[in-house]
Amino acid sequence: MPEPSAQPLIEADVVGRLMGQPLLARFPMEGSVSGHHRSPHRGSSVEFAEYRNYAPGDDIRRLDWRVFARTDRYYLKEFEAETNLRCYVVLDCSGSMGFEGEHGTRLDYAKRLAATLSYLIINQGDAAGLLHVTEKTTPDIPPRRNASHLQIILDALGQAQPTGGTQLVPMLHELAEKARRRALVVILSDCFCDGAELRDALQHLRFQKHDLALFHLLDPLELAFEFDRPVRFVDMEGSQSIVTEPATVRAEYQAQLKRFLGKLRDDCHEFNADYRRVTIDQPYGQVLADFLTERARHATRA
Amino acid sequence: MTFLQPLILWGLPLVLLPVIIHLINRMRHRPRQWAAMQFLLAATRSSTSHAKLRNLLILLMRVLAVLTLLLFLARPLVGGWMGWALAAAPDAILLLVDRSASMEARVAGADESRREYALKMLADAAREFEHASHLVLLDSATRQAREIANAASLPGLPDTQATDTAADLPAMLQTALDWLIENQAGTAEIWIASDLQASNWQPDDPRWETIITAFDSMPQKVRVRLLATTQESPGNASISVAQLSRQQATGGGEVRLAVDLTRSQADAGRATITRTLNGVATELEARVTGQSTRWRHRFAVGDQAGGWGKLELSADGNPRDNITYYRYSDDHRPAGLVVTGSALGPLWQAAASAAGRDGRTPAKRYAPDDVTPADLRDATLVVWQAPLPEGEMAGALRRFADEGGRVIFFPPDQAATARFAGLGWGEKQTSGDAGFAVGRWDEDQGPLANTDEGLLLPLAKLGVRQRQQVIGQAAVLAAFDDGQALLVRQSLGQGEVYFCATLPLLAWSEMGDGLVVVPMLQRLLAAGSRRLQRDSVAECGHVGAGDLQLEWTSIETGQRGDVQTQAGVYQSGDRWLVVNRPAAEDEFERVGDEAVAGLFGSLSFQLFQAQRDDTALQGEIWRMFLFLMLLALLIEAWLIRPGPIPDDAPPKPQPAAA
Repeated sequence: MPEPSAQPLIEADVVGRLMGQPLLARFPMEGSVSGHHRSPHRGSSVEFAEYRNYAPGDDIRRLDWRVFARTDRYYLKEFEAETNLRCYVVLDCSGSMGFEGEHGTRLDYAKRLAATLSYLIINQGDAAGLLHVTEKTTPDIPPRRNASHLQIILDALGQAQPTGGTQLVPMLHELAEKARRRALVVILSDCFCDGAELRDALQHLRFQKHDLALFHLLDPLELAFEFDRPVRFVDMEGSQSIVTEPATVRAEYQAQLKRFLGKLRDDCHEFNADYRRVTIDQPYGQVLADFLTERARHATRA
Repeated sequence: MTFLQPLILWGLPLVLLPVIIHLINRMRHRPRQWAAMQFLLAATRSSTSHAKLRNLLILLMRVLAVLTLLLFLARPLVGGWMGWALAAAPDAILLLVDRSASMEARVAGADESRREYALKMLADAAREFEHASHLVLLDSATRQAREIANAASLPGLPDTQATDTAADLPAMLQTALDWLIENQAGTAEIWIASDLQASNWQPDDPRWETIITAFDSMPQKVRVRLLATTQESPGNASISVAQLSRQQATGGGEVRLAVDLTRSQADAGRATITRTLNGVATELEARVTGQSTRWRHRFAVGDQAGGWGKLELSADGNPRDNITYYRYSDDHRPAGLVVTGSALGPLWQAAASAAGRDGRTPAKRYAPDDVTPADLRDATLVVWQAPLPEGEMAGALRRFADEGGRVIFFPPDQAATARFAGLGWGEKQTSGDAGFAVGRWDEDQGPLANTDEGLLLPLAKLGVRQRQQVIGQAAVLAAFDDGQALLVRQSLGQGEVYFCATLPLLAWSEMGDGLVVVPMLQRLLAAGSRRLQRDSVAECGHVGAGDLQLEWTSIETGQRGDVQTQAGVYQSGDRWLVVNRPAAEDEFERVGDEAVAGLFGSLSFQLFQAQRDDTALQGEIWRMFLFLMLLALLIEAWLIRPGPIPDDAPPKPQPAAA
């Protein structure tokens, strides 16, 4: 079991750089309070949306009298509602997330991403929750907006350990059923599970109108597969092991891996999920900055 | 395959080094926790067979590289001479060189003889071993083993030069065996260079079995390699004097020669012969037919008591057998001795009379009871028509024949059980009116041979009415139609004993007219004169021990000569010695490959036929192994090269941004 990382989950300079860029949802969200995010509901608010013809039964207080004075027609002025964001951070804590390369363990990297994201979300007035994906029964942390909730999340992250087989797919299905309101679902995982099943789970989430962001975390060593002598590879999620000469299987291994990565990316694009392949030698602050920037750009276009 | 550095072959187990390293490497693999196991398992499943094959090939190339390196360092020799069996350099190599006259045949298309070719090849082959093995030369002429330090000197050594001798291969091998036993040599090889002439190898000789059994029973391993110089040679002819006699004719003395001409071609033609007589050369021509021709030649020598000469053929495929030497003299006048109690005494005396300067001298005659051993002293021919001798006289007569005299027995007209030289008289037989006809006789040699003019003796017209059967095994020189012998011959030492089955009496036969009996007795008289000769005639390599003690000077060169190996006419004081090469050296018959291999029985035997095999007996092939090693290393390097990054490999992770 890897040692808990000495690096803090939230770094002030990273957060400082990211504070200026809000995390925006790509799709309308359903929140309980007013916020920065588009809502699927229309009505009176501060953001003008459109004019529409009066229909019997409409509240006459919403008639635009100025338009009536100019055109002698009854129009209703509609405004776009803005609400807060509910974000579920799904952290894969399977054994494979404990993979340790030159740049630390994958889970530590994922934790930093999760912590920083949670901080940013709560800090901008949105709600953040945390789901551990593990074989053990770990209580979920539902999304909350208050600052004290952040500490709960950080404590939970600090205690998360990689163990057992991956339960990502059933957990995502469960989340899709459980989260009735539209939310942003951020998945932090290596996705080393059955590709078809994962596809179904992602599709299920999107069907429920959730905004999906998948951070696919990979170690550079897993991509390069460069070893200079025979190695006994021990499965991190089972008891299987294999002795092989890496040079002899390298080409085939890379081909298999690339096929899997390509398929996953295509599936995500198909469901309009935000797929991000991240190698853990990348600074997580930069990864998040790119993530936020792109979302902001998308929101502007929308 | 033989190795000049065989000790290095002890390192052969090192070829397992790559396998051991491979196994150790696999055993000391590092454990690694791995997350992306599903891809690794799939990759291993699909590339297992291909990877295993590649690994095996890599391992094989590494083993091959080590093996070829070791073989390269061991300096292997290989070739038709060495074969391909693995062996180390022997402790001793015995070089058995055939120096017989037939080895002087020229190799077609090359300016060298078979002997020179063989010596060159042996020297080349032995050079590689001169630091690792003792080289021992054993030549056919001296049959003495002597160690040589330098293989390159082999062609120039006195004991490897040309001779007029014959080779005795069984005797050479016996000497080699004795040397190995005496010197307690370790592993040994016997290298023989010979032209496989049957008369030299004597494949029917019982000594072969004894010698090979002795080699087999030796504790050390003995390997035999034979360089058979059986290359094509230009056409060859040889000459030898079969008979020589000096006769006293009316006009003075004359020498009569019977010369055998043997040729490799069987076509008819004329041969040019240069006859040298006392230093004066005369060119003659002889008509030849078939492979073997007997040419008779006579020449007057006047009152010369003796002289020497040689007959020489023009240059051909083998210059060594183109000369034959002769010597004649009259200081050993033939004399006949007749032992009979019958009325035929005067006839025998006349027929066996000896010619001299002052006319003919009739043979001496004795009654059977009167003759004594002392009477044989000056005789060259004994005509015995009486019961076969017994006791002291029989022994004296045997010694007489042993010294070269001739004895002819005629029927005593009574059956007896006595034997002489294994022959005796049987019952007397009388024919009817037709008589016994003579069916065949030896026209080429012996007392009934054709005359110098080539005329047959009138044996076919000889009427024989009575005969006495000859009992015993002997060579039949003349026989009746019914197969019974008329004249038989038994060799006894240097002389011969004859039995004639009829008498020159009218009641017995018509031999009394003298047309058969006179030339027959005269020829025997002349042939028996050898007994009294002061001149010695010998074959090269077989000069008597007494003669070898003397210092001989060659008449031709005036210098001291080696009578044991060089043909010629030699003189030592008042003694003469004529040495010619053995007649068997003129024979073309060879021992076949299988027959010669069979002679060596179970001994390890390698035959190299110069006629059809390579031009070199062997060669160092370390270059080939060096090349193979490099090839194996190159293939190994190609196999272990990192494979190209497949097009469908996952993209390299982006470099970390600052």
